[in-house]
Amino acid sequence: MRITRPQALTAALAISTLTLASCGAGDTAPAEEAGTEETGNSDASLAVGFAAVPANLDFTSTGGAAIFEALLYNTYEGLVRLGDDGTIEPLLAESWDISEDGLEYTFDLQEGVTFHDGSEFTAENVEFSLERLDEWTANAPENLEALESVEVVDEHTVTLHLSEPDYDVLFWLTGPEGAMFDPDSVDDLATEANGTGPFVFESYENAVEMSFSRNADYWGEQPDVAELSLLYYDDANSAANALRTGGVDALVRAEAYDQVDSFEDDEFTVQLGDSQGVVVVTLNSDSEGLSEVEVRQAISMAIDKESVLAASTSGYGTELGAPSVPTDPYYEDFSGTYAYDPEAAEQALEDAGYDDLSLTFTIPNRPYAEAAAQVIQDNLSDIGVEVTIESQEFPAVWIEESMTDRNFDLTVVNHVENRNMVNYGNPDHYWGYDSEEVREHFDDAESATDDDEHSAAMLAATEQIVEDVPGIWLYNPPNIVISRTGVDGLPQNDLGAGFDFSGVTVTE
Amino acid sequence: MALMIVRRLGVFLLTVWVASLVVFFLLSVLPGDPARAQLGLDATEDQVQALREQLGVDRPLPVQYMEWVTGFFTGDMGISYASRAPVAPQVLDALQVSLLLVAGGILVALVIALPLGLLAAVRQNKPDGTLFSAVSQLGISVPNFLAGLLLIGVFAVTLSWFPSGGWAPPAAGADFLRHIALPALALGLVNGAILARYTRAAVLEVMREDFMRTARAKGMKPGTALLRHGLRNAMVPLITVTSIEFANLIIGAVVIETVFVVPGLGSNLVRAVGNRDLIMVQSIVMCVVVLVLLVNLLVDLLRPVIDPRLRSAT
Repeated sequence: MRITRPQALTAALAISTLTLASCGAGDTAPAEEAGTEETGNSDASLAVGFAAVPANLDFTSTGGAAIFEALLYNTYEGLVRLGDDGTIEPLLAESWDISEDGLEYTFDLQEGVTFHDGSEFTAENVEFSLERLDEWTANAPENLEALESVEVVDEHTVTLHLSEPDYDVLFWLTGPEGAMFDPDSVDDLATEANGTGPFVFESYENAVEMSFSRNADYWGEQPDVAELSLLYYDDANSAANALRTGGVDALVRAEAYDQVDSFEDDEFTVQLGDSQGVVVVTLNSDSEGLSEVEVRQAISMAIDKESVLAASTSGYGTELGAPSVPTDPYYEDFSGTYAYDPEAAEQALEDAGYDDLSLTFTIPNRPYAEAAAQVIQDNLSDIGVEVTIESQEFPAVWIEESMTDRNFDLTVVNHVENRNMVNYGNPDHYWGYDSEEVREHFDDAESATDDDEHSAAMLAATEQIVEDVPGIWLYNPPNIVISRTGVDGLPQNDLGAGFDFSGVTVTE
Repeated sequence: MALMIVRRLGVFLLTVWVASLVVFFLLSVLPGDPARAQLGLDATEDQVQALREQLGVDRPLPVQYMEWVTGFFTGDMGISYASRAPVAPQVLDALQVSLLLVAGGILVALVIALPLGLLAAVRQNKPDGTLFSAVSQLGISVPNFLAGLLLIGVFAVTLSWFPSGGWAPPAAGADFLRHIALPALALGLVNGAILARYTRAAVLEVMREDFMRTARAKGMKPGTALLRHGLRNAMVPLITVTSIEFANLIIGAVVIETVFVVPGLGSNLVRAVGNRDLIMVQSIVMCVVVLVLLVNLLVDLLRPVIDPRLRSAT
């Protein structure tokens, strides 16, 4: 009975390691709310469970929302912020003026603001931070590419000069790209965070816990809780168990959908909010059949989004029919366009001359995608389209095979980047959608001078995209926030910026 | 004996070197670009290329190998692609957690396996012996994550005796014990069942040996003979099996680590593979390989100490 053989073991170990699948990385982003309704316990601590794990603290060089949703508004602040309803509100800028030609944005800055290391926040920091966008490698610094230069008018006044009008500049300044940095702290952004926000970053135990303490010198209203910890759970059920056993006070973007009902009692509060996610099936227009708009419309009509939603999120979330989400100011419900009608779908496919279509469907190895893909496979088989599902490790393999090499007929993913509908204006994007008309609408939106004009142009673009069916927008995942009773003021929506915990009160 | 030790050490070093080659080059060809994996869905090609250069993954593989392997054995495992912090302290922290968890699991396993296996062997063909066998068979067929979920359901959620997850270092004393109890139990229950089967087989084998008959013929009571002569002989295969179990557990505990949110090597490895944090993956795998080889080396060296017959054989 001699078993030991080091070499055999080593080989077995190496192989088993290779076959390990993945978890981690990129998921959605966040929201916030300020203003406390009641006075809480000022010594209280708040522990919140999150699913997406930050790889480090540097959102300027690491993708995904996990980092900035923890740090933005809590530790880092920008000139402006998003309120929980999606409106743009002042933050480090008290007020601002936009020139008539839309090319100059002048901000009056809050006075008496200091970074956590004690250095003062002035117009110089705005210049430094926004000019440093050139060095960013992640989180879409190109959203602010219209920004040409930053002029320091005086210590507390700054003017941004744009090369062309861009109505979204203020919006992008509410997100990670607008975060204000201290020049002395940018060398170790991955491991330290020095901002002006209500919470001082204390420590990050990788993939386990991020800790903050109340900023006693905060320029605005002090947060109610003295200590804040964000705990990370790869597994949705482990997170739910932690809430049940008092390991955390709340969960944001809870994903144990089958357990949500069980929290609807006196001990817990469940809030259903919106996220920025768009779960979209992209149809590769280079594939046989899919280049024809009638075929794409037929496929759209074959898919039962209600069943998809039931399988992916137990029915939570909002069915979509377009690439915009309910918190977008230009959102309109298109879920009735090319909606589920298998008979019409089959007829349309036959009319187009494709009655024996066979398609490869690449999917990220994530539960929502696997569930959705199976429903879609069934739906399409009902109209005579044979679908082969190919699961790909997410993000590494899916990004390479499906997104970069465009090696798919159908693919699905949850796009969590804010307002990423504008990518339908980029023919090089993996969506492969090329419409001069849509690009013109996007240009109109950028050069808009008021909300109505902007929304009208975005809506016109949306209508055209919906008509062309480059993709099938399945649903907007919910932002489910579950908290124990006594924890109030948690943000309801996930707006793709920071999850602001400064307005949260904790009693008992 | 000295020759045997030198030979074993030589094989050990050679295997470590070959393993380093295998680990590095095999993992380097994992599909998926490390830089793109860090940057996510909205990165442009220029941004990906810039990060590639920054991480040094655009250099020829042999250059990267030499840098990594010399660094590894001098304690500098490089900088993680994901956390952008030195790899070595992260691996060592996770290793400490895993070793404690696995040690706890093996302790539980042995406490279960030795009496259960021994009784199942001694009472073979009797109702209680068959029952012990059946219990261990049942134990083997329970996946350890299920054992973990059941333990959490009963002892954390319902009874609130233990936390449902998380970790505390040994310095935390009672808190450490509270946190390690359930995951160690989940690991140990299933592996205890496996070890019990081996114990039973080893003891049965020993009981048929001539020297056991001789011992009983000398007038020794069966129980005494088993304890004095039998167990010592049964120990040899058991130690071997336990050392293999150790190797399985150190990475195989990954599911338990996920269920109980324990920041050990397994969960770090899975996350690093997902992030294509290759330098972290390679360092963790290499650490485990070295550890497993060391344990095997120790077992190889230890067996002749336990069993004098093996001394002349080698």
